Amino acid sequence: MGTLDTEILVIGSGAGGGITAARLADAGRRVTVVEEGPWVDADAHEPFSLEEMVTKYRHHGASLALGNPNIAYAEGRCVGGSTEVNSGLYHRLPDSLAADWEARYAIDGFTPEELGRYADRVERDLGVSTLPGAPPPSSAMLERGATKLGWRNVEFARVFRYDAAGRGTKQTMSRTMLPRALGAGATIVADCRVQRLLRQGDRVVGVRARRRHPGGAVERLVIRADHVFVCAGAVETPALLQRSGIRRNAGNGLKMHPTVKIAARFPHPIDHGDVPMHRVTEFAPSLTIGGSASRRGHIAMALADTGLPFDDALADWQNISVYYAAIRSDGSGRVLAIPGLASPVVTYKLTDGDLSRLARGIVHLGELLLAAGATELHPSILGGPVVRRADELGAWWDALTRSRANVMTVHLTSTVRMGEDRHRTGADSFGRVWDHRNLRVNDASLLPDAPGVNPQAAIMAIAARNCDQFLAS
Amino acid sequence: MLWFEREVVAALVGSDDPGVRSSVEAFVDGSLRDKPEHLRLGLAGESMLLGGYAAALRALGRLDGDDALVARLHSWETGPIGVVRQYVRAMKSLVIFAENELAGSRAA
Repeated sequence: MGTLDTEILVIGSGAGGGITAARLADAGRRVTVVEEGPWVDADAHEPFSLEEMVTKYRHHGASLALGNPNIAYAEGRCVGGSTEVNSGLYHRLPDSLAADWEARYAIDGFTPEELGRYADRVERDLGVSTLPGAPPPSSAMLERGATKLGWRNVEFARVFRYDAAGRGTKQTMSRTMLPRALGAGATIVADCRVQRLLRQGDRVVGVRARRRHPGGAVERLVIRADHVFVCAGAVETPALLQRSGIRRNAGNGLKMHPTVKIAARFPHPIDHGDVPMHRVTEFAPSLTIGGSASRRGHIAMALADTGLPFDDALADWQNISVYYAAIRSDGSGRVLAIPGLASPVVTYKLTDGDLSRLARGIVHLGELLLAAGATELHPSILGGPVVRRADELGAWWDALTRSRANVMTVHLTSTVRMGEDRHRTGADSFGRVWDHRNLRVNDASLLPDAPGVNPQAAIMAIAARNCDQFLAS
Repeated sequence: MLWFEREVVAALVGSDDPGVRSSVEAFVDGSLRDKPEHLRLGLAGESMLLGGYAAALRALGRLDGDDALVARLHSWETGPIGVVRQYVRAMKSLVIFAENELAGSRAA
């Protein structure tokens, strides 16, 4: 069994872990990052491709939260985590939500001003910008439909930098914060899964891990550390805490943005290489409308959601793009680590109100796409129906039931909430796990609720804030 | 992959190209192996049950060839039993995504 010693161990290298590693290494701390997934060159595969699914996603991108209905979800599992596979959309936590969370969960110093300062720094470090030119057709369709209906819409900024020719590069953790951490002396250990934390009283003294070497050999490792930051995401973070005997408010209260989709056929070609940047915010934060990855494989899967024949539409796939309606949910779920199983069981209970919001969402999305010029809409509802005119959209209200809805998500949060209310939180206002002096969580798990927008900006700002508090203490 | 899962994949792949067929099968196999244990166990259990049922139908001469299996899968997908609907959807999604991504790559 091998051993490693470090001052600070960061478990996970995504939006939370990457920021944590860079800030602590910059401050002169001796940092080691362990990442369960492989280190894959950020340019090795086309975004959202089959190869990317295989190499960079957990479970080949096909994870599932059990419930009625089940909810499919996807998350990254590679150096850089989900920042390597997401669309790069960046949206600061709305001020009203920060104020609400501060009051409801008694989070110290969680003011819009404070978070805004950290967001400024994150944006400077990463590079956050809008497109330098006109949006691609898939995004312009959202803008056009919303404008015709008089709905608010906006081009969201993304974590992208553009060169003089207008070519964008997504600023993932493996391109930004992790190289910065390495430059400041940090070590990154890929293909290394932490099995459990080693505890002594109120301290964590290290972790037990298994590292896979390129030839397939597995090495058992003990990594000793003075401080441990768990940044493995809203599913794996609470699962690791539970496997290590820490169960108090770890894993319950899972939140997400349940999402339904439409494959929309237009009378003209649509781009497929990027995710639309426009979002319709008319109904935000309870409902957001936007565009999804729309490679040929995604389009075929979306068309198949109705269970109806789709060969004719698929033959015209160049004219089709996939769009979504995502809601803030009243429901919640759980992450449960089962002894002997590597993967936790994830459950989520959609409320009747959630289903109603999803139905409203898919009908509004249909209205918008028809207004944008779509000629045929294939909803993610088993049995459809496929819609071609606005007066047919009403059929979806009754069609979207628990047994017929195909629901998915890519945003999971809130499994180790932060705040001073010990009855409702698993960590204090700055991510320190209750009753543990040197164990912190610093990822999406800390968010008290799903924010209604892409959460990575909030995760990054909160992670940076918590690092500063740690360094100051 | 279990034998019935292999049959389902073979029936659902539209392409006659042996390279595409084997690539799709490899992707589905990898995806099934990579699933969380409890989900894999559930799918495997359903594969055994549905595979047994399909074998019985075949013995009675009521399930002949890939087209008949595809039709049977469609009836399960739209049928009243939730876990069976989910089973078909899971298998179908993997096959459809892989086959179309491969087709897209080859076209490019």
